Amino acid sequence: MNWSRILQNFNYAVSLLLFLMGLYTVAVKPNLVKKLMGLNVLETSVFLFIVSIGMVDSGQAPVLGGETLHQAVVNPIPQALILTGIVVAVSTTAVALSLCLKIHQKYDSLDAREILGKVVF
Amino acid sequence: MNASFDHPVLIVAIPLLFAALCPIVGLFNHRLCIWFSLLGTALTSFLTLTLIGGIGPGKSLSYYLGGWEPPWGIEIRIDLFGLLMVCIIAVGGLFLVLYSWKYMQHEIPEARLPYYYSLLLLIYTSMLGFCITGDIFNMFVFMEIFSITSYALVAISGEKEAVRAAFKYLLMGATSSVCILLAITFLYSVTGSLNMLDTSNILRHLSPDYVKVSLVALLLFVTGFSVKAALFPVHVWLPEAHAIAPSPVSALLSALVIKMGVFGIFRILFTVYGAGFSHVSANWKTLSGIVAWAAALAILVGASFAVAQKDLKLMIAYSSVSHIGYIILGICLLSYHGMAGGFYNILAHAMGKACFFLVAGCFIYKKGLRKIEDLKGLGRIMPLSSGAFALASLSVIGLPPSAGFIAKWNILWGCVDSKKYVFMAVVLAGSILAAVYCLKVVYYLFFTGPRLDNTRIEEAPAAMCIPAALLSLGTLIFGIFSGTIIPALNSASRILMIK
Repeated sequence: MNWSRILQNFNYAVSLLLFLMGLYTVAVKPNLVKKLMGLNVLETSVFLFIVSIGMVDSGQAPVLGGETLHQAVVNPIPQALILTGIVVAVSTTAVALSLCLKIHQKYDSLDAREILGKVVF
Repeated sequence: MNASFDHPVLIVAIPLLFAALCPIVGLFNHRLCIWFSLLGTALTSFLTLTLIGGIGPGKSLSYYLGGWEPPWGIEIRIDLFGLLMVCIIAVGGLFLVLYSWKYMQHEIPEARLPYYYSLLLLIYTSMLGFCITGDIFNMFVFMEIFSITSYALVAISGEKEAVRAAFKYLLMGATSSVCILLAITFLYSVTGSLNMLDTSNILRHLSPDYVKVSLVALLLFVTGFSVKAALFPVHVWLPEAHAIAPSPVSALLSALVIKMGVFGIFRILFTVYGAGFSHVSANWKTLSGIVAWAAALAILVGASFAVAQKDLKLMIAYSSVSHIGYIILGICLLSYHGMAGGFYNILAHAMGKACFFLVAGCFIYKKGLRKIEDLKGLGRIMPLSSGAFALASLSVIGLPPSAGFIAKWNILWGCVDSKKYVFMAVVLAGSILAAVYCLKVVYYLFFTGPRLDNTRIEEAPAAMCIPAALLSLGTLIFGIFSGTIIPALNSASRILMIK
């Protein structure tokens, strides 16, 4: 195994790890709030990945001032993308948490085995 | 700049404005919201229908937001397929708002009505935006808006089952959204562009080092959009969510929202990757073949489950799983007749299925009946809504001269074109199963129950019957006059395949 390659692409390795952790939590954990946390970890891993693809070593902020840029600049588009992505993730979480509150009121439980298990159909 | 030039933006901007203002109108008068939303949807429908003349096969309408040219700015691009979708959404949404007027007064507390209409207009806006955008990330944003609003709309009644169904829908929907975002990232990392046409051009000349990454992106896109479209292995959220939501919401979700997933698959497979990418990698054809097989299984599984259901709305929901299969099968046959048939089935299914759910809503509103066996003899008590159901079942089954028949005929033609005879058998078997589940309901409605001479007619309010009746008439009209749309769809598909 080529460890130096992995260390060079440390961001990607962490993002993959977070992605798998998030997916595992969403799929396996029975507690609905934990599932939501997993969903947030999943989303964060993708955000990390998006920022990483735009990164340039010792790159500058791409602000066009009066003088021309001498150094390499980072790609601003991925940053704009995650900003939108974060807004989307926050609103999904808000809706999901309010649904969690409702579920707790109606079922007196947040355990997926008790709630989703009682499938009427 | 003349007025018509700004139209493409107004289609999204007007309903968005109305959605934002709806709760404010609701502060003064809850009942005023319905008229306000009707005005918004009617205005949008009018603007959408005025686009029809300017777009044809190979002729699309573009608008650059903020004046930025395509590879950099967001482009709004309406081609023939997008136009078909926006027309269905705009006019269908108008009918559903009209239907909601009486039904939702009965279903949710009056204080919550302004929020309901606001959500309805928001989902309407985002679906229109999804279909006309030419930018992949913009598509993602619109997709998230309609996903989040649909979770809220499923849960709007606040009942025990509704909240649970909404949460299940949310978990699957949010995970699939993450998939699509990841796919966009992968695609952006190898192409450096988010504009669909630009990306398509770059993919055509993609260096072999990047082909694997772009294939992973394609796979993630298709997986993500399959969840949104409720394609067979990942359809599990659909039946519960669609059956439990209030009837106008079920109609909206079944007729329009799941079609957005289909349209997403179509946009990615054909507009972005498309024939150009198939020269770079043969795996593109393999993947569309796999999707076609999943769709074929969806037809059979959805229809078989629909036959087994006792609950009317649940039966209709499973029938949607089957029809999504038809649409995706048609699109993924890689034959232009099949694609035209698939898109015509989007129209036919939107009308037929919306009519089904609206009629089911009429039964619930008037009689509180959900079970199919309880509908005995209801055809004599509620003749207009039951008649609409019977007429729409012709289209759902696919009998001539309805729109469903034209769609299935073209899909069969596509199967012959691409020499996939197994799929022909699947399409026909699906139709037979559809006949079983639809005609069972028609049988209970008209041919059982007491035959009394002095039956009193107790029809649902006109605001509920008329949209249902118009939609069922629509299936007949678009079946008889399909000659205007099918040739255009055929040539547009041919251009797309050759490109």
